[in-house]
Amino acid sequence: MRSKISLSGVFITMVMAIVLISSAAATLIFVQVYRSGMEQSAVTSSDQIGVQVLNTVENYTREMQNVMERIMENMEQGTDEDIFIQNMVDMRSDIVAITTYDAKGSLKDCWSNGRELKKTNLNSQSYTVPDAADSRLNITKPHVESLFVDYYPWVVTVCQEVQGKDGERLQVNMDIRFSDIANYIDNVGIGAHGYVYIADSEGNLIYHPQQQLIYSGLKEEKGAELKEGTHTESEAIYTVRELENCDWKIVGVCYVDEMITAKVSSAVSNLLKMLCGVLIAVFLLGWAFSELFSAPIRKLVTAMREFEKNTENFVFSPISGTTEITTLSNSFGHMVVRLQKLMDQVRQEEVTLRKTELNALQAQINPHFLYNTLDAIAWMCEEGKNEDAEEMVNSLARLFRISISKGHELIPIEKEVQHAMSYLKIEKYRYKNQFTYSFDVQEECLPYLCNKITLQPIIENAIYHGVNQMLDEGEIQIRIYQNDEDIVFEIEDNGVGMSEEQCHEIMHREAGDKTGIGIKNVNDRIKIYFGENYGLSIKSELDEGTCVTIRVPKVEEEEYAKK
Amino acid sequence: MRKSRRKALAAIGVGLLLLGSIVYIAFGDAVWFWSDNQINNNSIEKRKVVFISKSTDSAFWQSAYAGANAASAEYNLNLTCEGPGSEEDFEMQNDMIDAAIEDDVDAIIFSAIDFEANADAINRAAEKGIKIVVVDSPVNSSKIMCYIGTDNYGAGCVAGVEALKNPARTLRIGIVNFDKNTQNGQMRESGFRDTVKKDERTEIVSSINVKSTVEDAKQGTIDMLNQYPHINVLVTFNEWTSLGVGYAVEEMGVGSDTQLIAFDSNVKSVGMLENGDVDALIVQNPYAIGYLGVEKAYALLNGQKLDKAEIETTSILVTRENMYDDKSQRALFAFGKGEDQTV
Repeated sequence: MRSKISLSGVFITMVMAIVLISSAAATLIFVQVYRSGMEQSAVTSSDQIGVQVLNTVENYTREMQNVMERIMENMEQGTDEDIFIQNMVDMRSDIVAITTYDAKGSLKDCWSNGRELKKTNLNSQSYTVPDAADSRLNITKPHVESLFVDYYPWVVTVCQEVQGKDGERLQVNMDIRFSDIANYIDNVGIGAHGYVYIADSEGNLIYHPQQQLIYSGLKEEKGAELKEGTHTESEAIYTVRELENCDWKIVGVCYVDEMITAKVSSAVSNLLKMLCGVLIAVFLLGWAFSELFSAPIRKLVTAMREFEKNTENFVFSPISGTTEITTLSNSFGHMVVRLQKLMDQVRQEEVTLRKTELNALQAQINPHFLYNTLDAIAWMCEEGKNEDAEEMVNSLARLFRISISKGHELIPIEKEVQHAMSYLKIEKYRYKNQFTYSFDVQEECLPYLCNKITLQPIIENAIYHGVNQMLDEGEIQIRIYQNDEDIVFEIEDNGVGMSEEQCHEIMHREAGDKTGIGIKNVNDRIKIYFGENYGLSIKSELDEGTCVTIRVPKVEEEEYAKK
Repeated sequence: MRKSRRKALAAIGVGLLLLGSIVYIAFGDAVWFWSDNQINNNSIEKRKVVFISKSTDSAFWQSAYAGANAASAEYNLNLTCEGPGSEEDFEMQNDMIDAAIEDDVDAIIFSAIDFEANADAINRAAEKGIKIVVVDSPVNSSKIMCYIGTDNYGAGCVAGVEALKNPARTLRIGIVNFDKNTQNGQMRESGFRDTVKKDERTEIVSSINVKSTVEDAKQGTIDMLNQYPHINVLVTFNEWTSLGVGYAVEEMGVGSDTQLIAFDSNVKSVGMLENGDVDALIVQNPYAIGYLGVEKAYALLNGQKLDKAEIETTSILVTRENMYDDKSQRALFAFGKGEDQTV
């Protein structure tokens, strides 16, 4: 693969990313919904509790109002009020004392449950100037009852102005402590840590379950100054309800955030654990799928590369996998077969082409050569050099016979050597012994086969372009020897040599009319028959000479016959 | 080829199994996922905490117990409050510490009668791994992780400043302190002395140490006043001695011409403040001491690090003039639900 991104990597990453993103989104949505739901339910429950507490406290204050009204009625009538009020105080444990003050605020009467009044220092904490007289109860904020010896309870005071029986204005105060209502308030809980408390409209605490904690400075209570309604602060939700008959309000405190955060965090941690598991599972599944998908593809890729390298002998074994892969693999298999067939066909066609080419060339053997040779033979006969003439005729005949070789392309090296020798004989005679030649052939090479007319074009080239141009005597050496599995022919001359361009040109020139069989043709035929590794190479230096090397494999006659 | 397929199929199998088990677990979780599970809370036994004070029936310790109980309810602890009958009995305290060790408690909240004599028992407890929080009066041990109490020296200084407000030309001072070995009383006294000696009008005529009981303090004061009748400033440093000195002043009828600066809030001493026998009360915050003692013990039990090893609680000076202010009322009188508060 040229790019470094593998299919399985992309696939797994994508799937995991999708899972991750969707889970994260789902978690967030869940948390939002859950949180708002929890908040809603917390608000609802604290609302309900608030209403209950409100009713209870309202009943209580209404009762106090009733008590107060009855005391007033009695005082206004002026009949046995002493006894009535004393009974009241004795009966109700939450009334600490009932006191009356004159207009100047000095204590007139006091009824209590058998407590001893102080002799001195009667600076009562209960006397207040009541608010604007409306129908509501006037209730003070909590203070200490300071009238009695060794008894200092925290009370709130309900006060009311009244006309005494002798017409003077009196203030009646009733000091109440929180016994019953406190027990009730203490037991009200909202959620895990929520509670309710009572405050007045100015934000003074009337009763708080942890009042002593607040008075000791260990705790602060927020929200006492809030107005009616629900207030969501950063750390708690406050629901405030005001009483109708006095200026108290009930404040419910509900630590929703704590509640919700704990729950949500546990839920989220569970979700995260699950998500990790899901991711692992997705990873495994993704890996498996991509393995099923990309492993065959990898195999296919390897096979293709293999095919590129070794087109001829490549054998394709089909790859199994998903349907797509199978289809691909089958197509590729078919393609390989087709390609190989085609290549075979092309080669066959090439061979046929060369053969016909060669045959054609053989048919039109160089007329100059034939004419010159016949001319020379005629001349010899005239001169009476019968032996020479006979040899020439024999050489010419051999030359033609071997050229034809019953149409075989491959002939034993022995025959090829004879062919070359015959040719050289004729040429040497024609060129009046301008050059010498020598053969150095290993015996073992002779039986092996080679393409016919391999040496002759090279020798021809050596004579015309190398030796013929020289002033002094030329020399052509022909060596044939074994080299490992191959046979090597070397044709060396000491002629004028060739430049690089000439070498290149000679190797690539198509056969012309004049030149007969070109060097290119020789090379092509060798390659067609024995493959790309074999063929012809030229080494040449100007003024030094040229050496042509031909490589062919060892092919025996029997092998060829089989083919 | 075959192999990779088999591997892939195995991976698919494992993956599906994993998904299945996740779903199963999720459903299994759902049971406790959405329900409040209190199982954990029930299965854990409440941790045992013992509060050993100097005595049990003073208003100061009652208020401290109330604070401690409020905190133990809040933090779900099993709290026992105990103390010897008299504020002299450090052996009894040591016995209580040993009993607590026997009882395998988790934390002890302790107020030392004797700075030295309680140290061994406390060290023994600390070696057993019991968390120790000391309140009100320290003990000579390096094992203490947390101290909570009034700034005793500072409270003494406040008493001194109050004494110096006395317009008399010379201040002849009598000091009635409790046990010499109790650290907090010694610190209050030295704070007082350091403050008053800066003024040349002052002269400390007599300084006695009495047992921390009403009778002893009263007798000691009467003896002192008989010996030095010209004493015009009296100072004393805890609830019991305050009552004793107050009764002595009342008995001898010197309330109007003797300035008495006393400690702590008791209904009796509040009455004395109103009728002039006592002129100023330095009121500590026992409720906070008890509450914070338990709170810090809980933090130590949970292995939390405390911000500070010493926590100072507030104390305020209450006089006749300001005793019914909001702030003074709150310091002087415990806020109950209105149950009869008798001492």
